[in-house]
Amino acid sequence: MSASAIGLTGIVALLILLMLRIPVAFAMFLVGFLGIWQLNGWNAAMSLLSSETFTLASNPELVVVPLFILMGNVASHTGMSRQLYDAAYAAIGQVRGGLASATVIGCGGFAALSGSSVASALTMGKVSLAQMDRFNYNPRLSTGCVAAGGTLGILIPPSTGFVIYAILTEQSIGRLFLAGVLPGILLLTAFVTTITLICWLRPEYGPGGPSTTFAEKTQAMVRALPILLTIMLTIGGIYAGFFSPVEASGVGAGIAILYGVVTRRLDLKTFWNACQDSIVTTATVMLILIAAHLVNPFLALSHIPSAVGDFLNAMDLGVTGTLLVILAIYLVLGCFLEGFAMLVLTLPIFFPVILDLGIDPIWFGVLAVLTLEMGLISPPVGINVFIVKSVAPNVDLGEIFRGVLPFWTAMVVTLILLVAFPQISLFLPDTMIN
Amino acid sequence: MLGTIRKVADGLISLSAAIGALGLVAETGIILVDVIGRAFGSPLFGSQDLITMTMVILVFGGMALCDRNGGHISVDLLERKFPSAVNRVIDITAALLGALIFGFIAWSVWDSAQLSVMLNLSTNLLGLPKAWFQWALCAFAALTALGMMLRALELIVSGRDIRKEWTQS
Amino acid sequence: EELKFASFTPPFHTINASVIEQLNEDLSAATDGELTVRGYHGGELGAGPVEQYVRAVQGAADMVWGLPGYTSSQFGKTMIVEMPNAIPLDTPGYEALWAAYEDHLKSEFPATKPLALWTSEPNIFIMKDAVIRQPSDLEGLKVRVAGSTAAKVAEALGATPVQMPINQVYNALQTGLIDGVITGGSTLADFRLDEVANSYTLGANLGRLAFYTVMGQGAYDALSDEHKAAIDEAAGMALSKSAEEGWYATSDAAIEAAREAGDNTFVDLSEEEAQAFEDAVADVVDAYVSDVNGEDALAAMRGE
Ligand code: NA
Ligand code: NA
Repeated sequence: MSASAIGLTGIVALLILLMLRIPVAFAMFLVGFLGIWQLNGWNAAMSLLSSETFTLASNPELVVVPLFILMGNVASHTGMSRQLYDAAYAAIGQVRGGLASATVIGCGGFAALSGSSVASALTMGKVSLAQMDRFNYNPRLSTGCVAAGGTLGILIPPSTGFVIYAILTEQSIGRLFLAGVLPGILLLTAFVTTITLICWLRPEYGPGGPSTTFAEKTQAMVRALPILLTIMLTIGGIYAGFFSPVEASGVGAGIAILYGVVTRRLDLKTFWNACQDSIVTTATVMLILIAAHLVNPFLALSHIPSAVGDFLNAMDLGVTGTLLVILAIYLVLGCFLEGFAMLVLTLPIFFPVILDLGIDPIWFGVLAVLTLEMGLISPPVGINVFIVKSVAPNVDLGEIFRGVLPFWTAMVVTLILLVAFPQISLFLPDTMIN
Repeated sequence: MLGTIRKVADGLISLSAAIGALGLVAETGIILVDVIGRAFGSPLFGSQDLITMTMVILVFGGMALCDRNGGHISVDLLERKFPSAVNRVIDITAALLGALIFGFIAWSVWDSAQLSVMLNLSTNLLGLPKAWFQWALCAFAALTALGMMLRALELIVSGRDIRKEWTQS
Repeated sequence: EELKFASFTPPFHTINASVIEQLNEDLSAATDGELTVRGYHGGELGAGPVEQYVRAVQGAADMVWGLPGYTSSQFGKTMIVEMPNAIPLDTPGYEALWAAYEDHLKSEFPATKPLALWTSEPNIFIMKDAVIRQPSDLEGLKVRVAGSTAAKVAEALGATPVQMPINQVYNALQTGLIDGVITGGSTLADFRLDEVANSYTLGANLGRLAFYTVMGQGAYDALSDEHKAAIDEAAGMALSKSAEEGWYATSDAAIEAAREAGDNTFVDLSEEEAQAFEDAVADVVDAYVSDVNGEDALAAMRGE
């Protein structure tokens, strides 16, 4: 069998295993390990199993995973999340789907802070899902909007997606960050519109509450001050240069714990339980990330990405045709691959094609990162959906995927707009730099 | 018999999770001390070393409990369409496959730990030997593998699914 | 036969033209195209730089490149070449490394066959909103460092050392979390630091970074005698020189571009001014060399 055939067999096997309810991480471990063994021998498979596991488990940038989970858990136990959603409910609860819109906007804000979609979906999921449940929001809507909203982390700057794209393609990080601003706002608007439409068609998905007086609104806002202050200190500390976005996760957890201790809402036992819950969720998420990193070398060794590149060159489709085919390939690949792995595998092949055709690399960067975002919520391997599932164990995965569908459609519409109007992406970098 | 083994296993799983949770507390503390210290011109020496190696403990410390509590995510789209016998076979297969994977993780990391000793690998500032943390990872992974094997055995022998006996706090 | 070369950097990185393609050309030419090298970039064969050496030993890849600095405990004597004042600014690093290799460094490269050993261009100060003319200008500034000796060097200069991964430096400089970094000029291009830094100080001997390219002993032993001979021929000084010149070229171009950009401050230290920095760190360097029993290795590097 040729390397590409082994690669394709691996992808099909992965699909079958997933459909057979084999846990996602196990299926990816199995396919990745057997694939590397076939293509590069037993020693290589054992070596990569061990080194990818240890590298990921000791990656200082992934420390945001356990610490933001801890922050979210402590915020729930100390009532901070409740206060935040009481305030949001008092402010816009009377609007149908108002809390979901507020959550998506919160995801955008958190994304702007953390730069990581995994951290956004985890923290916002921990903070918001139980609260939306409390106000009788349908889990399909609430989990869908957190999974989709979490993806904003790699589009709204500072974004890890752009940093990786910039370093892989020698583009300016500053220009890419600026290019991401308007598309990020556009996508956020599309998400809020989607929620409004869903709740207009299906009012029971996000029921409107009673209207509140100004005094009630103020009161709720005052009660939410602790968590608002925590959020502001965490964001402010990054922009003031006191700590890095990664360290912000530790600071956020620290402040939440301090608040719990001072208000006596966090006793030792509750704290200990929050820690235990946090490491269990961390284990779920990290195991999937490690497994995804084992599939990556397998596909690289199968040379499927370069075969696709050769095919593309041979097709000679012109600018728009090539661009559309590449984005379509990203959409398909996004169904199986972890987002950053996808950039690493494909950019070396696609990027020269893009440059040859005279396509603006900054514009392409925005399109690539947006399609990468869509991959995070595309079945069957949608990392963000798995992450939301890890903080909402009682909701079926299928339910979350169905909930995500309208948001996915909104992303397709946004993508079409961004392809049709390059200036949405290029206006800010072109006017603000040079 | 199985009941006794389960009690011992649960004790070990709790111990592993407690070590992981302590790691999480330590991780938070390390970052806070580093950030606050840096603001006053004296950051924690070797903070990066501590952050990365503590990560290993807290990530793998929770693995066994994660599986025991049914924390691993699977695509449940077709669960209700399968007959219950099929679902049971799938559950047993998945548990055995998980045990195999964690067994291999432990094995491969054990091999790498021997290489770490040979190459004298340790963290850059504090000189913490890498092998210590690889051995810890091995122990956590081996425990997780044993836990999965026990879970498979229970499913085969008595149909008991330990994951369903756990409710989220 | 196609040898797999694992790289953790993007395909556009200097390593590709100066080492991977060079090796591929040399080996195919020597074997009539029977033996070739294919680069796997961006961590396709495993993420990150830390495990590179292990990957070669265990056979995840046939060849890898990496930095001894990421696993400095393995490379005690090799790391001497990174120290300030270890070798003069105009001495090529690869010559110094190979001069010491056979007698002093070989034991630090077990289970592999080194194909190239080289260093980067000399380190410079890359700062944001702080102009460095003398050691006291660093008083209280936060400077990113990679290893323990680099941390002691920063402290000896009066700065506060901050440890962080190189890919977080861009953000940290932008927000003011750190004031600068002491490293080679090629990072300006590799990590886009030119976009956020605005002050550069050149001319002091602040050391440099060391690099290796190795082939796993297992992969080497599996080759035919003829192919082994081709590898032996391609490995060594010539490849190392190609690598080091590649680094210098990247650095020179980046520094040239930063000078031309016009909105940057450049301080080119005179010999006397540079001496002040070198004096300030002399004790740290001496302590390190004696700590690793590296007096002989240092002498060999210096050609003494
Ligand atoms: Na972001
Ligand atoms: Na996907």
